[in-house]
Parts: sequence; C-alpha cells; structure tokens
Amino acid sequence: MNSAVLILIILGYLGLIFYIAFLAEKQRNSRWVNNPYIYSLSLAVYCTAWTYYGSVGKAATTGVDFLTIYLGPVIALPLWVIIIRKVIRISKSHNVSSIADFISLRYGKNRSLGAVVAIVCLLATIPYISLQLKAISDTFHIMTDAPISSGNGVLDDSTFYIALVLAVFATFFGTQTSDATEKHKGIIASIAFESILKLVFFLIIGVYVTYFMFDGPSDIYNQISTHDNFEQLTTIGGIEGAFNWSFMIALSFIAIFLLPRQFQVTVIQNTRVKHLKKAIWLFPLYLLLFNLFVIYIAWGGNIINGDTAQAEYYSILLPLNNGNIWLALLVFLGGFSAVISMVVVSTLALSTMVSNNLIIPYGFLGRFIQGQTDSNTQSIKNIRRVSIFIIIALAYLFYISFSVQMPLISIGLMAFVIVAQLAPSFFIGLYWNRGSAKASIIGIIIGVLITIYTFILPFTIEAITGSTSFTDNGPWGIELFRPQALFGLDFMSPTANALLWSMTFNLLAYLIFSLTSKGNYRERNFAEIFIDSKNFTNLQDNALVWKGEAYVEDIRNVLRKFLGEARTERALTLFFRKYDLPQDTQMADARLINFSEKLLAANIGGASAQILISNVVKEEEISLVEVLKILEESKKTIDSNKLLQDKSNELTSLANKLQEANEELRVKDKQKDEFLDTVAHELKTPLTGIRASTELLIDDLDEMPDEVRYQFLTNILQDSDRLARLINNILDFEKLSTGRTDLDLKYQNIAKTIRDACASAQSIASQKNCEIIIKNKSSIYLIYDEDRITQVLTNLLSNALKFADEQQGEIEVSYGRQKGKVLVSVVDNGTGVPDEDVKYIFDKFFQSNHQNRIKPSGSGFGLAISKQIIEVHKGEIWYLKNEKGGATFTFSLPIEKEKKEDE
Amino acid sequence: MKKRHEQKFVVLAISVLLTLNIPFILIFDSSDAVLGVPVLYLYIFSIWFITILITYRILNKYYE
Repeated sequence: MNSAVLILIILGYLGLIFYIAFLAEKQRNSRWVNNPYIYSLSLAVYCTAWTYYGSVGKAATTGVDFLTIYLGPVIALPLWVIIIRKVIRISKSHNVSSIADFISLRYGKNRSLGAVVAIVCLLATIPYISLQLKAISDTFHIMTDAPISSGNGVLDDSTFYIALVLAVFATFFGTQTSDATEKHKGIIASIAFESILKLVFFLIIGVYVTYFMFDGPSDIYNQISTHDNFEQLTTIGGIEGAFNWSFMIALSFIAIFLLPRQFQVTVIQNTRVKHLKKAIWLFPLYLLLFNLFVIYIAWGGNIINGDTAQAEYYSILLPLNNGNIWLALLVFLGGFSAVISMVVVSTLALSTMVSNNLIIPYGFLGRFIQGQTDSNTQSIKNIRRVSIFIIIALAYLFYISFSVQMPLISIGLMAFVIVAQLAPSFFIGLYWNRGSAKASIIGIIIGVLITIYTFILPFTIEAITGSTSFTDNGPWGIELFRPQALFGLDFMSPTANALLWSMTFNLLAYLIFSLTSKGNYRERNFAEIFIDSKNFTNLQDNALVWKGEAYVEDIRNVLRKFLGEARTERALTLFFRKYDLPQDTQMADARLINFSEKLLAANIGGASAQILISNVVKEEEISLVEVLKILEESKKTIDSNKLLQDKSNELTSLANKLQEANEELRVKDKQKDEFLDTVAHELKTPLTGIRASTELLIDDLDEMPDEVRYQFLTNILQDSDRLARLINNILDFEKLSTGRTDLDLKYQNIAKTIRDACASAQSIASQKNCEIIIKNKSSIYLIYDEDRITQVLTNLLSNALKFADEQQGEIEVSYGRQKGKVLVSVVDNGTGVPDEDVKYIFDKFFQSNHQNRIKPSGSGFGLAISKQIIEVHKGEIWYLKNEKGGATFTFSLPIEKEKKEDE
Repeated sequence: MKKRHEQKFVVLAISVLLTLNIPFILIFDSSDAVLGVPVLYLYIFSIWFITILITYRILNKYYE
C-alpha cells in the first residue's frame, strides 16, 4: 500500500476519534456517554498493541503463557466487588487523582512517597508507551512494504507525527480544567469506541485465518502437530513451566489494579460505583473473546511462514501475503486503536502524577501562594500539558534508541514487574493499619533496584554491548550473582526470577520497617480511614483528627488562590451550612482543615494541599494514642447518633400510625352515628305510615267505607313489608360484613343465573318501557352461591331500571371470561352516577342527593350488600361511566376448578 | 451488598486461582486436542467462561 494513502487513512481515522471525543464532551450528561457499557469498554485499555500483536507472537514462539496476562484479571475481577469498590469510595471522597495520590494519601499524604510512586510509574510506563510507538512504526512499515529501518531522520518518521498527534489529543481533551479528578468523558468515549473496533477487527482476522485460509481449528491443529516445537506450543512444560506460569498470573493480577492507566479508567474516571455491576463480568468476557483465535492465527502463521521471525505481526502479514490488503488495513487500524487508547490514557495519568506529585509539591507551591487564581490554574494546566509532551517525547526517544534491539515482550513485562513493586503498599495498606510511609518507600525502592539488576540491566547491557557475558556469568564472573538466576535459582524465566526476588525483599522490607518504627499520628489517622472506609465515609470531615489554631480567613485566602472567589465562597457557605456553623465563624476546626485539603487535592494533589494548608495554620502535635482515642470516640458518637436517629424514626412512624388509627376510629364513629340516624329515620317512615293508618282506622272504624278501609289496610301491609325488608337487609348486611354467612357454593352455570334474574326483572321492565338485553349465550361454569349472586344481579338490575332512560330504557347484560375470572356487567343508558358520588355508592345507606327525581324507594343497602356478597366470593365489583353516559356496574368472580368446591 | 454475598466472590477468586495454578493445571498439561482445540486451552477457557457466568449470576442477584 502506498504510504501516502495509508497516512491519509490514518489521518481520517484520527479525525473520527477526535470527532467522537468532541461529541461526547459536548453531550457530557447524555446516557450514551454515562453508562456501564462505556465504562466496561474503557477498561479494555488493558488490551494494548501488546495484546494485539504480542499475544500472537508469544503464542507462536513460546506457547500458552500469553494467556497468563489475562488470567490474572480473570481472578482479580470477582474481587473488585470488595477491593475496587473500597478504592473508588475512598478516592471519590478524598478527590484522589492518580495512583500516586491514592498511595500517598493512605500513608498520611506523604509527599516523598507520592513522588516515589510517580517515579516508579514513569519508569514503568514510558518504555511501555515506546513499545506502542514501535508497534505503530513496525506495522506501518509492513503495510507500506518499506524496510524497517531506524536510520531515517526523526522528521521523516511517520511515528513521530503520530506520537505528536496523540499528545495533542491528550492535551486537548485531558487538560481542560485544572481539576485532575474531572471526568474526561470525551477521552473515555473514544476509548470505548476503539475498544469495540479492536475487538471486532481482531475477531474478523481470527475467523478469516481459521476458516478461510485454513479449514477450521482441526485443520490447523493437524498441520501444526508435525512441527518441531509443537509440544512447547500446547503445554505448560512441566513443573518448572508451571512455576513461571503461576508467577505470571500473579503479575497480571497485580497489574490490573496498579497499572497507572488501569487505575485511571477504573477509579478516577468512574462516574458511578454501580457501573461495576456490569463491568465485573463484561470485562473478563471481553478478554475471553479477544483470546479465542490467538493460537490459530499464531499457528497458521507458523505453518505458512515456516519460521517465527515475524510472529508478532502474523495478523497483518497473513492477509497481506494472501493479497487481502483491506483486511490487513482493518487489522492495522485495530492495532492503531489499541495504541491510541493506551498512549492517551497513560500519558494523562502520568501527567497528573508528574504535576501533582513531582513538580507542584517540589517547587511550585511558593509561587502559587503569591499568584492569582487565573495564573495559578493556568500554570497547573500548563504543567500538565508540558508533562504530556515531555512524556511522549521521552517515550519516543526510548523507542528510537532502545526498542529496535529489544523484543516487545520484555518491555511489556518490565512495565508489569516495576509496577508490581507498588503492590505491598497498596494491597496491604488497604487492610493493615500499621503499614507506614517509611516502610513503603524503602520497600518500593529496594524492589525497583532488584528489578533493575535482575531484569532491566541484563538486556540493556545486551542491547548496548551485544555481549551476554553479564547475564551468563554474573558481574565480574561471580556466578552466584547472575542476574537472571540469582543465588543459583536457575529454573525460572527472567520475569519470574525478577518478580520473586524483588517482591520478596520489597514485602519483607515493608513489613519489617512498618513494625520496627512507631507510626506517625497523621499516617495512622489515614490508615484507620482506609481500613474502615465504610464507617469513616459516614464520619466525613470528622474523620481527620487535628488540633491547633487556625483562622477561617487564612484558609479562605489559600482556597481563593486555586478555586477563585466565587467557588471558594460557595464551598465555604455550603460547609458552614452543613455543620450548622455561623457564616462568620472565625476559628477553623479540624473539619474545615480536612474539607479544604480535599478541595485543593483535586487541583494540586493531596500532599501539596496538606503542605499549603499547614503553612497557614498552627498545628499542635498529638500523640498516636490520643488520635486513636478521638477516632474511636467519634465513631461511637456516630454509632449512637445513628441509634438515636433510628429510634426517633421509629417513634415518628409509630406516632403517625396512632394518628391514622385515631382518625379512622373517628370516621367509624361518625359513620356509626350516621348509620343509627339513618336506620332510625328509615324505620320511622314506614312506622309513621302504619301508625297513621291504624289511628284513622280506629277513629273512623264505623263510618269508613270498605274500599277506603281496604286501602288503609293495604298501606299498613306494604309499610310493614318495607319495615321487615329493611330489618332483614340490616341483619343481612351485618352478617355478611362480619363473615357469619354460610355460602351455598355449587358448581353451576352463571349464564343460567343471569337469564333467570333478567326474566324476573322483565315484568317491571316492561311496565317502565325498558328493554333488557343479554348479549352472550355461552355457558360458563364456576362455583358460587346462586341465591346470593341472583341477589346481586337483581339489585344491579333494579338500580339500572330505576336510572335508565325513562322514554327508551335499555339495559345490556354481558358476561365473559378474562384471566381466570368471569366478568359480568350491567349497563344502562341513564345519566350515570355523578362524579362526586362515585366514591360512596358502595357505602351502606348511600342514596344520591343529586337525583332530581323522586327519592328512590330502596333502602340504600343494595350496592353495599352486593359488594359484600361479591367480596365473600373473593371477587370484585366496580363502577365505570360508559361511553353513552350511563352507568356500567361490573363484578368479577374467580373461576376455580372443582377441587375447591369443598371450601 | 451483604457481607455473605461479598465473600462468595472471594471464594470464587480462590477457586479460580487454585484451578488455574500448580499443581492442578498440570492435570491438563497435554498436547491432545478435541476438535482442534488443545485440551489445555479447552480447560482454561471453560474455567474462564464458568467464572464469568457465576460472577454474572451473583452480581445480578445480590449487587445493590
């Protein structure tokens, strides 16, 4: 492929990445940018060019052990629920901006420790970035079919320009504010996009090699099994191999937590802790998919090429040699994506460390104190920007001077081993409160020195002098000190050897020095905060023990230098309101000190923040014992406060319940009064009638004509009937509502019951010029008490008759099955129930006040009794206004099979 | 998330650690293959996949 064309494609692709980052930054709060999938995909920054090309190279030459890099994370991810959640929680509450900041915070915001960690990260990552540049350069040369040479000038080297563009990208999207805990949504979104691309393209090439160039996995397996090193490619290689295997897994286990870029995406760029829920299983799945075809690409390459000279680039070479240049281009872009994301995130993480842990705390603090807000934030941003360019420049330098001679894999492993030196301080520090800053620094330095001696020095010397005598015979020929087989332990790989010795001494130094010296009180304070992070998050600013003299005004001045006038005032107002302090408080307390340190930490790092604040306050020394006692007490206060709060909540809810019960009783009482009133009234009406008629009969017994007397007697009979019906209804209702009725349950046809009920209502209906229509014909069998349901139907029908249109009354009765229930509706074409009455129609004695007709003759019990009947049948009854304006009453009865008949 | 459910992840991690390390990994240290997939790879990828499934299940059920 023509190199100009390729450069154009690269530029187009970079433009796309810029555009995606720009879009995401513009829509910072949209769901597309803030979701667990973007977070999970951003974790895939773990898969660099080393994964993309190095895995195949390793699978083709040394075999299975390329998998160890991914198996460590597979073991680590389940533990994230515990460890990373804790780390994220602490980091968020203390505005941690990098791994160096995090470790230094644990050891009392120790400035030197932060610097040591930052240097270790630089040492590990710069060669790693140069490895990425090498991968771009190599693949570029393969794609353009140019010889790989290093003789050209820097300005002729396309890799130089690509590195430059990446630095611009990181600067543009990574340093928009001076707040290093700022979420870089644009960068994260572009990484997620690249993660999808690199995986898809790698899978495409995997399928292509396995199924198109060869005839499936079995074909490749059969062909490779005749090769010389076949045994080595498919097995671990006995116990010695298994030892190296285990060490490598341990190494990658540590790396997934501690690599600066990994810490940046998992902890600093995490927007919500709950995104972990998806990431913890999605990320291992991503890694699994990535590794599915590695061995087949590697073996396919071995079979076709015959030797393993360019094994690392099989995934590009295979399609290229097959004439499939577009496929090769896809693979190239996939690898390029892997490079971009790694380089951008790493430089970003490193630049934060360089500025907040190296440059600012060692030299810029004095200047910041004199400066103004604008100039300060500008210098912070500039320091980061310059660091980004310096880091990439250093990586580029390393790449030109070293990486041509060094294999990709050693550089990658070197980064892992160096970063692993942070493991004791990090992991043990999270769970052991005695670990101290001094011990941490000593451990890390010893570990790094041993790594340099056993791992870096040998191949640096080999690369420079070309002689292997240092490695083979040891320094000055002392065999015991052979770097890759220290003290004669010669069965391990160089990596395992370096890891074993460096970690052993690092760990021992950390433990021993932590125990031999008494801890500093500040350090111990933070240790307690880290170890019991859950409880101390509740304590918030109370978690810091501090004694001394400080003025709010002084602290306000410091804050202003970095946050500006407006933000400082806002933060302080919030703080005073939160702790219920007057706005013009003069003396600052421990909480304000802690609060301001946290605010500043985001901009200049924890250590610098502490130094700045301690410049303006007078702190008194406190003894360790006192610190622990105060912490214990404030924890207890929190606990008892919590207990009190719980109790008070409980009491409040109890009081509310009582009030509700009281209210209910009052309503019931009122209802009872009304009930008695109505009953008395209702009973009185027929009684008065009877009495009046009887009186008249007695008075005029002789003169009264027979027909009049007959009329009076009929009246008396009717009124006593009404009285009896009323009393029966009341008794009936009480029986039903207290559950003392026995239902005569039988398995029968509801259609028949409905027809019967309608037939008996027919006579009144025809008097009223009303038509009753039954819409359905089918039979539905279920269990119910026929008399009772007839009662309900009669009731609904007589109501409908009462309210149906007077000229052309029409009542529709319909029934049907629905979800294990029978629904029966009675629909009339009257005026419906007035809206304000709907709530009450099922109450006893309810008779609408809004009827502009004669007071209905009913007792007001009909619907109340119907409701009770339906409820004892475990059904429901309700009212709806129908579209014609009339009333629709519907009740449902559950259809149960015969097994329940005996109930 | 309750402590008990958190500890399930610890047990899971320990189990994966054990199954993928000396000495148990050596049980599958052979060059044979099933349908073109060497048994060692088959073993590792199965453990890998099962781990994902178990993690997914516990997380979905108990993560709060």
